[in-house]
Amino acid sequence: MSETAPPIISVQNVTKRFGSFTALENITLDIRPGEIFALLGPSGCGKSTLLRIIAGLETATEGHIMIDGQDMAGIPANKRPVNMVFQSYAVFPHMSVADNVAYGLKLERLPKPEIAAKVEEALAQVHLSDFAHRKPDQLSGGQRQRVALARALVKRPKVLLLDEPLSALDAKLRDAMRLELVKLQESVGVSFVIVTHDQSEALAMADRIAVLEAGRLRQLDTPAGLYKQPVDRFVADFIGSINMFAVIGQHDGATQAETTLETAELGRVRVSSARLPASGQGGLVLAVRPERVKLADAPPESADAIAVAGHLGDVAFQGNSSIAEILLAGGASLAALVSEKEADRLMQAESGSPVTAWWRADDMLILPENALSSGG
Amino acid sequence: MVSRTRQKRAPAGPFDYSRKVSLRLVFFLGAIFLYAPIVVLVIFSFNDSRRGGNVIWKGFTTKYYEKAFNNDALVESFINSLTIALVSTIFAVILGAVTAVVLWRFRFPLKPVYEGMVSLPIVIPEICMGVSLAVFFSSFGLYVPRDVAFPLNLTNIIIAHITFSFPFAAMVIRTRLNSFNREMEEAARDLGASEFQVFRDILLPHMRPGLVAGALLAFTLSLDDFVITFFTSGPNTVTFPIKVYSMVRFSVTPEINAASTILILITLAVTFVAMRFQSFEEPRK
Repeated sequence: MSETAPPIISVQNVTKRFGSFTALENITLDIRPGEIFALLGPSGCGKSTLLRIIAGLETATEGHIMIDGQDMAGIPANKRPVNMVFQSYAVFPHMSVADNVAYGLKLERLPKPEIAAKVEEALAQVHLSDFAHRKPDQLSGGQRQRVALARALVKRPKVLLLDEPLSALDAKLRDAMRLELVKLQESVGVSFVIVTHDQSEALAMADRIAVLEAGRLRQLDTPAGLYKQPVDRFVADFIGSINMFAVIGQHDGATQAETTLETAELGRVRVSSARLPASGQGGLVLAVRPERVKLADAPPESADAIAVAGHLGDVAFQGNSSIAEILLAGGASLAALVSEKEADRLMQAESGSPVTAWWRADDMLILPENALSSGG
Repeated sequence: MVSRTRQKRAPAGPFDYSRKVSLRLVFFLGAIFLYAPIVVLVIFSFNDSRRGGNVIWKGFTTKYYEKAFNNDALVESFINSLTIALVSTIFAVILGAVTAVVLWRFRFPLKPVYEGMVSLPIVIPEICMGVSLAVFFSSFGLYVPRDVAFPLNLTNIIIAHITFSFPFAAMVIRTRLNSFNREMEEAARDLGASEFQVFRDILLPHMRPGLVAGALLAFTLSLDDFVITFFTSGPNTVTFPIKVYSMVRFSVTPEINAASTILILITLAVTFVAMRFQSFEEPRK
C-alpha cells in the first residue's frame, strides 16, 4: 500500500437520491491501491448503495466515480474493471463450480485452454480444486462464498467489491474467513472494498474504514485512529463499546486554559480548553472506554484522575476478562473492563458493595454530538 | 420395533395420518373416486363385447385396438389433436414466457389492467370463449377453405387453443420467475454479460422448470379441449374429443375405450418425460 500513489478508486462528491429520499450525500473518498477499505455503518446508511454505484449497478445522481484515473460515467457494469462478491453470493445454480468461475472468462472470449488454466488457478487460490465439478447445491455456505470469490478474482479486477461478505456465515466460520480474506488480499494484491455493518469485522480486516451514517461520511481513518480518536458521539458509540456522559453545563475554569464541564453523573470535571472540539453541533459528551476505567476502594490521590463513586452491579464473564457494571447515583451505570483476577475478587464481593471507578483525564474523550457542521 | 403386541404400540402422533383408520378410509375412497372410472375404461377396452356400454365381461381381446387403428377417421382426428396440441403448445409457451418476463421485469402504466386482461381467459367460461372465437373468425372472414391441406386446415383451432392456453403458461412461468434472485442477474452483468447474455445464460435456465410445466399444462389443455374446439372446427377438421363424442352418440363401443387408453398412455408418457426433463437440472434447495 502506498499513500502517495494515485488512488485506484476516487469517489468525488457522490450524491444519490431515490425520489425525495437521499441515500448518499456528497461523499468524497479515495481508495488506495492494494488496501482493504471498509465501508462501515448501520443498515440503511447507504454503504451498499455506494458499493453498487462503484460497480455500476446504480448511477449516482450527482458526482463522479474515477477508477484508475478514468471517469466511469456512462460505462455500464459489464464494462467496468471491478468485480463484486454479492451478499447472497449469487452463484449460478445451474452451472458447476468450474463453469461458474469460467463464466466471466467465456464472455471475454478467451481461448479454452487459457480459461481452463485460469479457472484451475483461481479454484486453487480459494481451496476448491477438489470441488470443480460439483453443483452449487452440493456446497456449504462457506464454499459457495469461495466460488463467488474465485469467480470475481479470476477476472483480475482492479478492485474487488464485497457486499457484507461474512454476514451469512456462522460465527466460527466468520472468524476463519476474516483471516482468509486478508491473506487472499495480500496474495492477489488488488484493493478490496468491503461493505459491513459489523464494526469488529471492519476493525479486524480493514486498513482504513469509512464510517457512514444516514448517507453521510462521518469519519475516515485507520481502525486504531477511529477507536482512539472518534470525531463524535456516533462514531465513538459505533466503534467498540464506550461509557458516555452528557455534558449539561459548561463553565469557564480558573484559568483561560481550563474549562469546567458539568455532567449529571460525574459532577464537575475540569478539562483543558484545548481539548474541546473545535467544530460540530449538538451538545458535548464525555466518553471513556471500559478498559480505561479502573476500580478502587477509595478515590486515587492523583490530580488528573476523574473518580466517581458507585455500587457494584453484575459482572459479565467474557473469558480472559470480564465486564463489571458499576451502578451510579441517579440510575446511570458504567462499564469497566476488569482482568480475570480482579473479576474473581469482585465476584466474591457482595453485589451492591460500594466501589470507586476512576480514570485519567487524558483517557477521557470530549466529543460533540455530531462532528458534521450542518445537516445530519 | 421392540414389541409386536397391539397394546404396546404408541398412539398415533399428530402427523401420523397413515395410521388413523378413518383417514386411511378417506384416502382409499378418494382414490377409488378418482381412478375407478379410468381403470374401468382401460379394462373394458379389452372386453370381447359388441357394445362398450355393456358392462358384462365377455372375455379378453385386443381386436378393438386393431379396429381403432384401422378406423381412418379416428386416426385422423387423433393426429389432428396431437398436431394442434404440439403447435399451440410451442406458441403458448413462447407467448407465455415473453408475457411473464414483461410482467415480472418491467413497470409500465396500466400494468395491473394488462395483468388482469392476460389472466381473463382463465376465468371466462369456455362456452363464451368458444362463441366469441367462432363469431370472430366468421365476421372477419377468417374461415379456412375446405380444400386446404393438413396442417394448415387446423389454423383456426390452433389460434383458439393458443388463446386459452397461453395465460396458463404465463402464470406458471411468472410464478417461477418470482423465485429468481436478482443478484444473480447483477452478478452476471458484473462479470461482463450483456442484457441478452444474462437472459440466455442465467434467466432462461432458471425459467426452464416453469417452461416445462407451462408446456405440459398447455399440451394437456389443448389435447382434451372440447367446447372451444367444437365452435372453431369445421367438418373437415375433427379433433379426437369431438370424434369420440360423435362416436359415443352413435354407440359406445370398446373401440372408444381402446382409443382413450392410448390417449391416456400418451399423456402419461409426455408427463413422465417432462418431469424428468424438469428435475434434470433443477437445483435442490
